[in-house]
Amino acid sequence: MLALHGTGVGAGIAVGRARIINRNSDKISQYTIAQEHVNKEIERLERGIETAQHSLLELGKQFGKEIPDEVRALLEAHSLMLKDPLILQESSRLISEQWVNAEFALNQYGMRLERVFEQIQDPYLSSKSIDVAQVIQRVLGAMTDSQEAIGGQPEGTYDGEIIIVNDLTPADTIELRKHQIIGFVTKLGGPTSHTAILARSMKIPAIVGMHGSVGYLRTGDLLIIDGKRGVILANPDDQALAAYQRRREKIIRRTQALETLRDAESVSLDGQRIMLMSNVELPDEVSYSVKQNAEGVGLYRTEFMFMNREQMPDEEEQLEVYKQVLEKSDCPVTIRTLDLGADKQVDGGRSADHQSTNPALGLRAIRLCLHDLGLFKPQLRAIYRASVFGKARMMVPMISNVEELNQLFKLIDEVKQELAEQKCPFDSTLQVGGMIEVPAAAIAADIFARKLDFLSIGTNDLIQYTLAIDRIDDEVNYLYDPIHPSILRLVKNVIDAGFDAGVPVSMCGEMAGDPAYTRILLALGLREFSMDPARLLEVKQIIRMSDVSQLKMALPKFMNATEPEELRQQLVELNQ
Amino acid sequence: MLKCGIDSSQKMIEAQIPVVNKLGLHARAASKLVKLTAGFESSIKFIGKNQEVDAKSIMGILMLAATQGTQIRVIADGSDERDAVDAISEMFEQCFGEDE
Repeated sequence: MLALHGTGVGAGIAVGRARIINRNSDKISQYTIAQEHVNKEIERLERGIETAQHSLLELGKQFGKEIPDEVRALLEAHSLMLKDPLILQESSRLISEQWVNAEFALNQYGMRLERVFEQIQDPYLSSKSIDVAQVIQRVLGAMTDSQEAIGGQPEGTYDGEIIIVNDLTPADTIELRKHQIIGFVTKLGGPTSHTAILARSMKIPAIVGMHGSVGYLRTGDLLIIDGKRGVILANPDDQALAAYQRRREKIIRRTQALETLRDAESVSLDGQRIMLMSNVELPDEVSYSVKQNAEGVGLYRTEFMFMNREQMPDEEEQLEVYKQVLEKSDCPVTIRTLDLGADKQVDGGRSADHQSTNPALGLRAIRLCLHDLGLFKPQLRAIYRASVFGKARMMVPMISNVEELNQLFKLIDEVKQELAEQKCPFDSTLQVGGMIEVPAAAIAADIFARKLDFLSIGTNDLIQYTLAIDRIDDEVNYLYDPIHPSILRLVKNVIDAGFDAGVPVSMCGEMAGDPAYTRILLALGLREFSMDPARLLEVKQIIRMSDVSQLKMALPKFMNATEPEELRQQLVELNQ
Repeated sequence: MLKCGIDSSQKMIEAQIPVVNKLGLHARAASKLVKLTAGFESSIKFIGKNQEVDAKSIMGILMLAATQGTQIRVIADGSDERDAVDAISEMFEQCFGEDE
């Protein structure tokens, strides 16, 4: 048994097999080989196929009698496919005719096969292309030293497994939702990394920031991961396994107890109504949000529609998706305009030739949108056109300058006029709000509050920019501190500015969904929280046990604390 | 290679077999077929949807992408061609041992 430590994220305990995903690149590389190397390249392919056969055999041996007959029959089929000379013949032909590398040739052949299957009308048989894809993938993996691509893996490849990976990109986090993964372990990243966010939304535990110690883990190891304590136990003994199973069951019971709060009102002990909304990315998640009794969507991220694809979604496609989202919810849905750039890159559409050295401070979000109207205007039009299908609000990310708002309003007027001329129905009173996530906007929140219909504090970026910490850089993310006095003052300033201007202020960053901060935020005067819907009941539970007027009385002491230790102590007391 | 039509074409036998099982020629069915055909000395070909494939190659059979109702032409040529065609058609008829 081996115990390793990292930063725990997400609720609960997972027990399952490890799967290490190494990848230097997600794409199959293509290069030309010299004619005299054709035979060597074909030999390399042969060796790859042999290795894949061998690993399949090992898999069969390793699990022996545990394999159900169904799976055994498929393993057999895979093994026959690997023995089939056609794979080698067809791929070798490409190598010798086109002088391409073996991986590329094999992948081309695989894609050709998949196209054949895609054309089949029969849903069962066409789903069988997975078998071929898996076999090809296995050979590719064997040739590139188990360099597997996360994206593009057939649905269900990672079911029941704990994924071990360097770090996940936002694009991965979408792909991985197709699998029933039970936990993540990453080498890099902190509690606010994309892996952490994904784990929370999938309601599974993750251990992030493991550094070199991930090297001790092997694919196939039995792992216990404890998201709360940040512990990984590899190949545990029976005693540890039994203890963790008991704890796991306890957590499940607690979660079930929280479920009883689903229909309970979100009201504090002293009768303050607190609005709980959810953050969503995909239209499907709106249904979950509705199920959790969220009072609306405080943040609907639109950029995911733009990722993992070659071509930008056009106005009509966006309209269709926004309409879908709005129709699923009886409560208001806050559509955030594109927040691309920095760590969220589009695959296609935008040119990548301009490499900013500091993308977080570069051309992103509203800056990028105002810079590229070909990108932004179709989105504005789609949002306005969708606004008649439900209760929509529009929110603009990363505003830092009033001039940006002036440009935005001018553009909105243009869009409205065009739509009116084209006789497209839209809600002319659509509320327009701004995300306060740049310190400049938080400090001058009064100015922005006067120009906007609502404000929403984005704590992830606000903390990152204020404390000058890259939240993805795990060497500095220990400095990431939501109760740093500067953050508390900025949050208070924004809430007060909203109050003075008569404009509602919500919070949609990770902080809003962390039960540890619910009470300090209530004390600061926050009345609207927007979070991952999976955390909603836990936050509601705390609200129902809190007396807001009493919390407010404790605030001056909190705001006057200067020592980090003192602040932490205050937080503990507040949460008692 | 040039095809020599005089000696072999006269001896080989041919049969038309429909795919009757619900799931069609999927990976498991194809693997059963291949294990069967591998046991015969004769060369065996499947023709379906204007494609001719080697019946001893699982990839080839999968390429036919044959769903329920597809007609497969089986051509066997060799010393045990009769047995081969009989065994293949029996396997098709029995739906590859699947529960229907």
